[in-house]
Amino acid sequence: MASASNNGAVGMPQLDFSTFPNQIFWLIIFCVILFAIVKLFIIPRMEDIFANRRKIIDGNVAKAEEIRLRVGEIEKQIEEELRKAKAQCDDIMSTSGNNIKEQMSIALEDSKIATSQLIEEAEERLKTLRDGSETAIEKISEDLAAEIINKLSRGK
Amino acid sequence: MAKESAFNIHPMDQFIIEPILMGENLEWYSFTNQALWMLISLASISFVFIYGSRKHQLVPGRLQSVAELMYFFIRDMIIDIAGQEGLRYFPYIFTLFILILFGNVLGLLPYSFTYTSHIAVTGFLALSVFISVTLIGFLRNGFGFLSLFWISSAPLALRPILLIIEVISYFVRPVSHSIRLAGNMMAGHAVIKVFAGFAGALGLGAIAPIFAITAVYGLEMLVVVIQAYVFTILTCVYLNDALHPGH
Repeated sequence: MASASNNGAVGMPQLDFSTFPNQIFWLIIFCVILFAIVKLFIIPRMEDIFANRRKIIDGNVAKAEEIRLRVGEIEKQIEEELRKAKAQCDDIMSTSGNNIKEQMSIALEDSKIATSQLIEEAEERLKTLRDGSETAIEKISEDLAAEIINKLSRGK
Repeated sequence: MAKESAFNIHPMDQFIIEPILMGENLEWYSFTNQALWMLISLASISFVFIYGSRKHQLVPGRLQSVAELMYFFIRDMIIDIAGQEGLRYFPYIFTLFILILFGNVLGLLPYSFTYTSHIAVTGFLALSVFISVTLIGFLRNGFGFLSLFWISSAPLALRPILLIIEVISYFVRPVSHSIRLAGNMMAGHAVIKVFAGFAGALGLGAIAPIFAITAVYGLEMLVVVIQAYVFTILTCVYLNDALHPGH
């Protein structure tokens, strides 16, 4: 393959070994300059940009975290308030329930007393009525007996 | 310089190294077309990375995002493959990547010279990778680096055979590493040049060759970036072997 390189353009110029020292000389210069550019300019610049971006992102993340904590606190507060309001509500409900029960029992008691009174009165009246009727029957039967005796005696 | 032929197609002429500026003879110090394109590549890199990101924008503009894309692509690649310790060698690997990438991409310009198509250039780069990786391996692990060739996860009977295979494949690395890149670059450019020769021979009616050039050019745009990527990722893999030889 290398034999083709001697006639200039014939074959592969890549295998023309006479050009190698020149190529490598310039390549080394090129590499050194490029490495210097990378090391001195490109990397510091890119890292700087990256660090700045990182800083801002971290700042934002920290801020977001702070807000999240505050939201948690506010949520806790709201829960506390809600709990208090619920307790108050329960309290009101139970006291008013008790009031109603009390009043109901008083009213029930009252109505019981009233009915028992009425029953007593009615019984009283029934008794008097019954007594009245007994005496009336006695009297009537006495009268009737006297009349019967009269009639019997007269008929004789 | 070129020999005459029927179609007047000289696909390899584009790879000839010629001295420009200083004299006709190629001395080791002569400023050549290759050196010129290295200089242009240097200027382009400076343009993208230094001019493009001169404002240190928080939200990058077009050029800066290109620069950042390349920078963080290589950075993440090293971390993925060689781990955090690999980041110590980031400047070298990044230099290698942009050197090859810009050489490849600029080589696609008409009338340009592709310095990465030369086996001397890629061979030099691959050899420097090979030598430095071997040195790093021995300096960091001492003779423990040799455990790279003694595969302890394989059955004992197979290990001597694997040892031979591993040693051979280790020493073939710089060869495959450099020829892969130079070969890809050379082949693509030569193919474009061949079709361009057809187009030249056919004159105005050369629709098919021009279409073919367009297609090959599109393919080459892909190959150019992929080969730079492959060269860099292989360097990372070799570096990982040197940093963690015990697999």
